[in-house]
This record gives sequence, structure tokens and C-alpha cells, in this order.
Amino acid sequence: MEDFPEELRTPPVALSCLIGCPDVHPLITAHLHSQQPPINAIALPDFSKISMIPPKKPSRDPSEPPAGIIKRDWFSKHRTRIPAVVAAIFSSRDVSGDPVHWLQVCTDLDKLKASIRGRNIKLVVLVVTKWNDKDNTSEERILALRKRAEIDSKNLIIFVPDHEPELQQCLSRQVPLIVPLSKFGLWTVLGELANTYYRDEGRRVRSRLEKKNYTSMELHVRYCFKVAIYAEFRRDWLEALKLYEDAYHALREMVGTSTRMPPIQRLVEIKAVAEQLHFKMSTLLQHGGKVLEAITWFRQRTANYRKLVGAPEVIFLHWEWLSRQYMVFAQLLETSSPNALHVPSTDPVAEEKPTEWEFHPAYYYQLAASYLKEKNTCLEFALSMSIDVGAFDGSAESVVASAYLGQYSRLLEHEDAFITQPLTDMEYVHYALAEGKRFKDSFEIIALLKKSFEAYSSSKAERTAAYCGLQMAREYFSLNDFSNAKQIFDSVANLYRREGWLLSLWEVLGYLRECSKGTSSAKDFIEYSLEMASLPETTGSSESFSKDCGPAEPATSSQREKIHKEAFEVARGESELNSDEQNSAFKVKSDYPIYLEIDLISPLRVTLLALVAFHQPMVKPGGQSLITISLRSQLPINVEIDQLEVQFNQSECNFIITNGQKPQISSIDIVQPGHRVETAPDLVLATNKWLRLTYDIKSDLSGKLECIYVIARIGPNFTICCRAESPALMNDSPLWKFENRLETIPIKDPGLALSGQKAIQVEEPEPQVDLILDSSGPALVGESFILPVTVASRGHAVHSGELKINLVDTRGGGLLSPRGEESFSSDNIHVELVDISCDAPQDKSGAPSDKIQKIQPSFGLISVPSLDMGESWSCKLKIKWNHPKPIMLYVSLGYLPQSDDPSLQKVHVHKSLQIEGKIAVAISHRYMLPFRQDPLLLSKLKSVSETDQTPYLALNEKTLLIISVKNSSEVPLRLLSMSIETEEKSVACTVQPQQEEFREAIVNMPGEEFKKVFTIIPKVNSTKLKIGTVSLRWERDSNDTSSQVTKYRLPDVNVELPLLAVTVECPPHAFLGNPFLYSVKILNQTEMLQEIKCSISDSQSFVLSGPHSDTMLVLPRSAQVLTYMLVPLGLGSLQLPRVTVVSMRYSAGLQPSTASLLVFVYPTKPHVDLKPPGDA
Amino acid sequence: MIVCVAVVGHQNNPLYIQSFTKGDDSLLRISILNVEGCSYHSLKRHHIVHCSLDVVDERVNNPKKSGLIINETFLGLLNPTENYKVYGYLTNTKVKFILVTTDLEVRDVDARVFFGRFHTAYVDAVSNPFHIPGKKITSRKFAERVSTIVKSFGLSSGG
Repeated sequence: MEDFPEELRTPPVALSCLIGCPDVHPLITAHLHSQQPPINAIALPDFSKISMIPPKKPSRDPSEPPAGIIKRDWFSKHRTRIPAVVAAIFSSRDVSGDPVHWLQVCTDLDKLKASIRGRNIKLVVLVVTKWNDKDNTSEERILALRKRAEIDSKNLIIFVPDHEPELQQCLSRQVPLIVPLSKFGLWTVLGELANTYYRDEGRRVRSRLEKKNYTSMELHVRYCFKVAIYAEFRRDWLEALKLYEDAYHALREMVGTSTRMPPIQRLVEIKAVAEQLHFKMSTLLQHGGKVLEAITWFRQRTANYRKLVGAPEVIFLHWEWLSRQYMVFAQLLETSSPNALHVPSTDPVAEEKPTEWEFHPAYYYQLAASYLKEKNTCLEFALSMSIDVGAFDGSAESVVASAYLGQYSRLLEHEDAFITQPLTDMEYVHYALAEGKRFKDSFEIIALLKKSFEAYSSSKAERTAAYCGLQMAREYFSLNDFSNAKQIFDSVANLYRREGWLLSLWEVLGYLRECSKGTSSAKDFIEYSLEMASLPETTGSSESFSKDCGPAEPATSSQREKIHKEAFEVARGESELNSDEQNSAFKVKSDYPIYLEIDLISPLRVTLLALVAFHQPMVKPGGQSLITISLRSQLPINVEIDQLEVQFNQSECNFIITNGQKPQISSIDIVQPGHRVETAPDLVLATNKWLRLTYDIKSDLSGKLECIYVIARIGPNFTICCRAESPALMNDSPLWKFENRLETIPIKDPGLALSGQKAIQVEEPEPQVDLILDSSGPALVGESFILPVTVASRGHAVHSGELKINLVDTRGGGLLSPRGEESFSSDNIHVELVDISCDAPQDKSGAPSDKIQKIQPSFGLISVPSLDMGESWSCKLKIKWNHPKPIMLYVSLGYLPQSDDPSLQKVHVHKSLQIEGKIAVAISHRYMLPFRQDPLLLSKLKSVSETDQTPYLALNEKTLLIISVKNSSEVPLRLLSMSIETEEKSVACTVQPQQEEFREAIVNMPGEEFKKVFTIIPKVNSTKLKIGTVSLRWERDSNDTSSQVTKYRLPDVNVELPLLAVTVECPPHAFLGNPFLYSVKILNQTEMLQEIKCSISDSQSFVLSGPHSDTMLVLPRSAQVLTYMLVPLGLGSLQLPRVTVVSMRYSAGLQPSTASLLVFVYPTKPHVDLKPPGDA
Repeated sequence: MIVCVAVVGHQNNPLYIQSFTKGDDSLLRISILNVEGCSYHSLKRHHIVHCSLDVVDERVNNPKKSGLIINETFLGLLNPTENYKVYGYLTNTKVKFILVTTDLEVRDVDARVFFGRFHTAYVDAVSNPFHIPGKKITSRKFAERVSTIVKSFGLSSGG
């Protein structure tokens, strides 16, 4: 775009001319420039310079044919030299001054008028005055001046440069300055007049167009062009566009009809004009935001001209021209407003709508580059065809561009004057070829493609970008810039590899191969060659014979074989790598060995793929396992490998397979001594066939054994290092994945082929040490449970042994109770490991200093002393249960069988044991009243019996407490003592006995119950009286354990003074017919008189005397006794007559229980002989 | 005249690509006009087909922007390279058909008819029990059928 002259690139600006008073020119020009639209001004200091304005030429003879279409400088002449309006500036002193000055003014004005009249240039008169002199200006003179200049009053302006407000008004706004002299500002006046000028000129030319009084098409084009330019001056873009279009169509018609010039130059001229018209129209459309129209127009116009190739010798001019059109359009598209870009094509199917890429400048840059490339090709061809270009070279300098656009002529010096002479087509062709030879377009092509590449990459069109890259790289390649070319080719090749475009990849690899030759890189050369040789065959014969594959040549199988052979010749050092351009040779030898590495993502996987599978997933240490190494190559010719090396992560397992056909290979020397060497009958890789090798492998080290590399050596200095892959994880290369070919499995065993792994697990050696956990049944809560652990060596000595102990809750709840995880106290740890006590080794008096012992509530670690074979060692774990909970005890022993080899791995023995924790004894209690005594406790009557289980005891009355102990464990226990510890030291209650040591331990068998009676006399009247805690000391019925204490807290009791107490008294037994006393004693402990109702029921077994039913009063704090005399009538255990006592005040009755009213009646008084029978 | 048809798999890998070079005099003319440095060769067409996959991606990823109707398999004109027109078609299994023609005046209906027939031929070819899905199509019968379809391009609707 920069090649175009400025007047074409910028929108036209009206031109004015300032004459006279040069001191105000800067002020006025600056002002005119600052307005919108601006007006350019030519500043002429005085009237003598009027001749600078070119005079009107004599009009052309209509009969004479035009010499060209558009004069080269016509537009610039109107932009820079022919003003539309002239401002004659006079000083007010001259105007109003003496007659001499006035006369001069008149003369100057006349001269000016004469010189501009021919061109119809408009005139404005400015009178410059000082602010102080403003009123001195003679109005008559001003009037005279206006008349002389023949202008409207508004076109005469009084100009006051030294007064800011006046100046501003005068310059710009329409405020009357000196009425009626001027109404308008200078810029407005000039602008209007310029508009009038351009409109008039346009009309004048247009009238010629309308009259059609011309014969040649050239004039039609010229007139249209001129009218359009005048319209542009007036900013009438629509009209301009219309006329450019007219001109364009007329020009296109001229192609076939015009005969004015020799054909080659004629076409060159037409295209030159068309180019300007293209540019103008594209600019107008794009800057007007009509991108869609611009694109559509551009497509049509280029389609029109693309076929105008012209004469074969200068065909390159056509491509150059076309390339320029695209480039300029792309630049315009890039600079036009970004909003107008990306106009979606609303209907993609519609033919006329541009497609996506046509809105991107990248598209046009790419085409510009490809046309430029075409130009290069054609130019080279044309240069090669014409031998005598050099002969013309000298005279080419005299060829210059002539006055008409697109025309060239020869400049001849003739008698101190230059004359131009038209060229013949032949001469022009020579000139064009010579010019073409001077410029190299490759860099320009690269620049265009780079722009396109970047734009496509940023819009994520990676394939199109890759194609641009490919073209760019080809251009670099043609310039012998191999490093740049290689870089781009590599990235392009990656895309083609990924998507499997074989033919494209073949082409790119061909270039890369040549690049590596150019950079003398044998490694690259071999890599690219091998990749090319192992590419799949393209299907469809016509494709593979394609001849435009660049240096790769057609992708035929013979070409593949050729490339394969070349690569191996270089690799074996049999031939040199020659680079044609740099004349350097590179040979692979022992100083420069070649080492190729093939990993999982390498494109060379198709060249050599190494799969390694172990036949077993696990192996014992020292045990043998089979390993299969499968190699496959897609190279077209068989490859013979001299030596294969298989490397593992355990380097002792590495081994070498040599080729049985080639026993004497020098490279065997590099093998470290002591390594295993195997010999295979032959190591030949055939195309797409697996070479399977199976060997034994043995590892002594436990852990993972993994095959890492399979290294193939071919020749003395060529090595391919292939990363081993597992058959189970193998995925095919994208290039071969889509091919139809014979699929064979890498290993004969199909299961192994699908699931084989390149790694194997070597197990630990079998432990030969016993770990014995002795369990003595369930543990009891509260006791320290002792668990002996024994380590007994059977076949191994134990060194650096460590015993780990873990306690785990079998139900998974954890060994801590949920509420107290923060603090470790014995209360909230259910089960804890308290201690580990171990025997000191007997024979090793010097115990190892690094003895570890670490104990936590649920974890323990202890070191085991060194043991020789057959020895044993034991320790005791002390575990305490605080709550009944089953736990799992895990004990693991890790040891080294040999002390001298620290690299060996430890052997581990694991044991586990579940232990239940149980409660040993269950303690319960019961309160009982003394026999036949019933106190009346008021609150007991009131209380709702079901909710309140608190027992009520009578104050100062004796109550019996029965404690029963039940053995709930599975082992016999011995009870040692039992005591009740009262909590309060005061005399709240008396307990008898406080403590009792059993004289002889009571053996309590599982499930048995033991009872002990205490008496309690509460001394304090209170609710919630704390009685105390029962402590039971017991031990297992085996002597080796210490005694434990189980505590049982007695619940609180209510103590109350009984209001009334009823005591029934009668002898425990009676004799038939013998009377006995049966009395009921009612004790009133209150301060009130108590009315008591009592009655006695009759009984058949007794005859009774006494009050049958009575109401009596019992005095405060006294007792009343009801006495009956009973005579038993029956025998045996008899029910006494039931006495019912009812307290009227409390409505509480007392009925003694039937059990307490039994009496045994003997027939007679027994005669008991207390003497033993033997004494009798 | 159709110069190239291609079947491209869903990983944008070529499954079938066939160029048609034998032709009439018009080919010669085009080959003179061909500008991009390459003569009338298949590799160039591989590039055209490959580049047009970008447009397919763009259309499929931005269906709204490109005005593509949902479930429409015919993608329309993809790329007006200077001497070729490229049309695209996308099956439900994301297999793309690309058509490269030198006819600069192509009616959409012709392209649609072509792709319809081509799709049928493709379905028949991949229904062959010996064809492995995802692999290149090597059936000779398919090639013959494609040639027939290519020859009848533009004739179907009386055009």
C-alpha cells in the first residue's frame, strides 16, 4: 500500500492559495488545517509568484487520439498545485493608502484575475488591518476593491490578526465583522468556493461524458476518473464510487478493443489504471464500513482480471500485479475498522456470500504470497528463455516512466534536451525482465506468509496455518536458510503426523531430510530417512506417483527402499553425507557415532518398536522367569541387527543378545565383563513382522524388576536405543493406526500379548522365624493383661530385628472414647498398651546400645536382639482394658537374615490375634427392712413409685443392705475382701461392718453369686443421702496375677423419719393347743395424737382373744400395744390372723406381708437331744 | 468438474481421498491459470482438503455464527480458493466428506445431491463386514461407485 503515492492513499483535501502579506500566512494555514474538513493552502509571498499556478493548457485537438489514459501527475497536480480558490491578501495601508499603493493593488489584482480566469479558479480578497487602524480603512476603497475583484461582498473579508476575538470571528464564524463587508469566516468562504470550483469542474467534465463527444474509450475512463476525483474533493463518496465503477467497466472493455499501443504495454497500462481504480474503490468501500460489499466487489474484480495473463514472456508481470492487488486489499482490510470485520455470513450455503476466511486479511496475504511465488516461477522461466537480457541491461537504465500512468518510454539525450521515445514491446519486455532480475521476492513472500501464518494461528486455524508455514518453509529452503526451514517444517510435520496425512508428511520429511543434509547433521538425516522409509504406503496409485513432492520425490515403494538404503549406508559409515550447497561431507565413524533414542512419543516408533513382557506377574527371589522381547519395524527392507542389549532397572540382570550369524563383532568389546551374553540364531527384522526372543531372567533382589531399554547396535557406530514398552499398554502410531494391514500379536501367547507387562514383582524371601502369640483367654477389665510374644528362629538368624505392635479396634471405632480424644488419660482410652517387658538375652550380655523401645497407647516398637539360628526370645505385652472392648492385636517382626549385608531387604513376619475384654464381676445390691417392722414413711406413700426408684430408708431404724457379687467372666475368681467406704466422714449413717477381709478367699466360679449383708442405720434426715462405694478385691484363681479392685457405687437414698412404726411380735413357733401372745405395737413418733383403726381377721387355724376391731388413740411419742392371745388349732406352717392398722390422719394403712405372718406349729414341744448320737 | 473427493475421519485423518485428473481440455486451461506454484497434482489437493477441515471445525464449533442449521449435514461452501470451490458434509458419526471442484458456478442443490449419493456409498462401504471401522477405505467397489457419482455430478437436476 505504501507504493501508492500519498494523494491516492489519503482522502483528497481541497487546495487554496494565499498570495501577499506573507506574515499572516502561517496563521491562516494553521487555522485552515485545523478545521474539519481541512483545507490545504499554497502560500505565495507576493503577486509576482502568480506564475506558480500552472496556466490552463490549450484544449486538446479532438481528432488526435489520446496518448494515454490518465496522466501520472494529474491527481497530484490538483492536490498540490492547482488551487480551487485563491485568497489575495492586501494590507489595509495599501488599500487605504496613497494612490501609488492603491494603483499597485489594482494592478496585482488584475494580473491575478487574468491568470486564474482560464482555470475558473475562485477568488477571495482579504484586507489585513490592525485593530487600532480598523476604523481608518476607507469604505470606499473597500467597495472599489470588491468591484475590481468582481466578487460578492461575502468574499471580501477584513482581517484583524492582532485582536483575538475579532480574529477568531473573522477566521471561522459567520458573525458580521464589518457590516456589510463580510458575513462569513475565511474557512467557510474558502470551503464554499472550493466546493463550487470542484463542482463546476466536475460538471464541465461530466458534460463531456454525457455528450459523448469523444471517440476513444481512454477519454471515457479519464473523464470518469476526473469526475470521481472532483466528487471526492467535495466528499461526495457515493458519486465518486459510481464513477470509479464506470471507469472500471470502461477500462475492462478497452482490453479487447484498444489498439493504441503495442499489446504488451497496452495491457500493462490498463492494469496500472485498474490498480488505481481498485485501490480507490476498495478504500472507499472499506472506510465506509461496507466490508461485505468490498469483499464481494474485490472477488468479482479480481476474477475479471485474473484471466488477463498477457503475453507469455511477461506473464510474471501479471502475477506480480495480482499479488499486489491482494496484498493491498489485505492491508486495507487490516486497517479498516475492526467492528466491520467478522461480519457473519448469514447463510453459508448461499453462493455469493463470502466464506469465513474471506473476512480475514490472512486469506488475502496468503493469496498474495502465492501469486508472488507464481510470479517468481514465471520470471525464472522467462529469464531462462531469454538469453540476451544482459545485452539490454545497459539501456534499461534509460527507460523511465512516461507522463501517462502505466506507460514507459526511453529517455534520450538530444542536443542538451531530453526527449522521450516510445518503446517497442520487445524493448519493454527486456526492460521488464531486467527489472525483475534485480529484485528477489523470496523475502517478501516469506513476510506475507508469516503475516498469514500468524493470523491463522491466532484464529486457531492450525491446518491452514500449517499450510502457510509449509509454503514459508519451502521459501526458506529455496534460500538455503535451512535452520529456519527445519524449524517450520518440523512443526508442520507434527500436525501431519498427528492427523495421519501421509502424502503431505512425506513431502515435508523430504524437505527435512534435505535440510539435514544442508546442515550436515547425520543424526537428523538418518532419523528423517528412517521415518520416511517406514511410512505406510499411500493407497491409490495416482496419489503416490504425485510429482510435486519436492525433494522427497514420489512416494513409491522403490523410493522408500532407496531412502532406507541411503540411511543405512550413512549409518554404517559406508557413505558420506554430502551437502550439495556447502560442499561439506560428513561421515559416521568412531569419533562421531550415531545414537538414536526412540521413546513413547517419538515418530521413529514405527521404525523400531520394542515390546517386553514377563511371562509371570511375580517371581520368588532367585527364581527364574521368562521374558519375551518382541521387536517390529515397518522399514521396507529387512534390517539385520548386530547386537541387542536389554537393560533393566536392576543392572545385574542386563544381558546382551548377539547375532549368531555375525559372531565376531567389535562392539562386543564394550560389554562389561561378567555380563550375560546370549546368542540368537539371527537378528533380522522383516517388515511388519515381530522378531520374538524369549530368555530366562533371574533376580535375587526383591522389589520391582523392570525392563527399561532395548538397545540395538547396527554396525560399529550406530545405536538405536528403544524404550521398552509393555504389550498391555501399547498403542499404535497414528500413522499406522488407520492402515489396513496384517495385524499380528507381538507374543505368541495371546493372553500375554494383551496383558503382558515389562515389569515384574520379585517377592520377599520366605521368613524362617516363628512369631508366637500366647493368649490366655479373654482379658478382664481392670486387670493388666499379660500377653507373651515369642520370636523363635527356625532357619534364619535374626539381625536388626524390630517388633511392631499395633492395637486396632475390631469394630473400627478407635480405641479412644469419643469424648476425650484430646487428652490421653486412662479413663478415655478403652484399651492401652501399658508396657513391654522383655527378657534380657541370656547369651549376649552386651545388649545392643541402639535398642529401640517406643510405646504409645495403641502402638509399640521394640527392637529384637540378634538371635542365632534355633534361638528364641520373648517379651510380654502388658495391655490394660479400661472398658470391655474386643481388639485386634497385630504384631510384625522385620529382620535381616544376615547381619553383614545391609543392602539386603528385611524379611517380615506378621501375626495377629483378637482378644476380648470382659467385665470380671457384676455387683448388685438390695435394701431390706428388719423382720416384722414397718415404719410409715409419708413421702414414700406420696411418691409415684414408677419414676422414682430411689429407695427410702427410715431414720434411725436399722435397714439391711445385701450386696451380691456375680462372676460374669469365664474363669474362677477369688474374692479377697469387701468393704463399703462411706463417702462422707460424718455420722450420716452407720454401716456395719465397714470392711471385711475374708479369712479364707472365697472362690467364685463362673456364674456363681456371692452375697454379703450389711446393716445401715441412717442418722440424718435427708434426701439423697450418699451411702458409699462397695470395693471388692479379687484375683484370678491362678496365683500369678495380682489382685484387682472392682468398685461399685451405691445409689443415693432418701432418709425420712417414720411417723408411725408398727412392729408385729410373736414367737417364731408355737405348739398345738398352747396359747401364745401375738402383739402389735404401734409407735407414734409424732407430736400429735394419732387415731388408729385396727382390725384382725379370723383364722380357722387359731382361736384368738383380744379386740377384734377397734379404734384407738395413740398419744404423742408413745406406743400402744395390741395384744392377742392365740391358741393354734392346726399343725405346720400356718398363717397368723392378719392385722390391719390404718392411720386415720394419713389415710395410710399397714398390712404386714403374708410372709412375715407365718408361724410354725409343732404338735408338742420337741425334745431335742443335743448330744451326739454316739453318746447315748 | 470434480477434481477431488475425500472422506475424513473424526480425528481429521484421511480415510479415503481420490483425485480425478483425467479430463477434458478445460483442465489444461485451468492448469495454465493455476497460480499457486503447483501444477495440477494431487498433493495440492491434499492440502486443500486438509485446510478446509479448519473451516469445518469453525462451522461446527460456532454453529450460530456461521448460521448452520442444527442437524444439517451439508456444510455448504467451505472455501473459495482461487480455482477451486470446496464443499463439505458432516455425518452424524463426525465423518467429513469434502468435495473439491473446479466449477466456479456450482449450485447448492447439485452439491447436496452429490453428498447424498456419496453418503449412501460410504455407508455401504463401511457396512462391509470385512471393513474395520476407523480404518482407511480400500474397497475397489467403493472407488468405482465414487467415480460414477463424480461423473454424474451436476447432471442429476438437469443442470
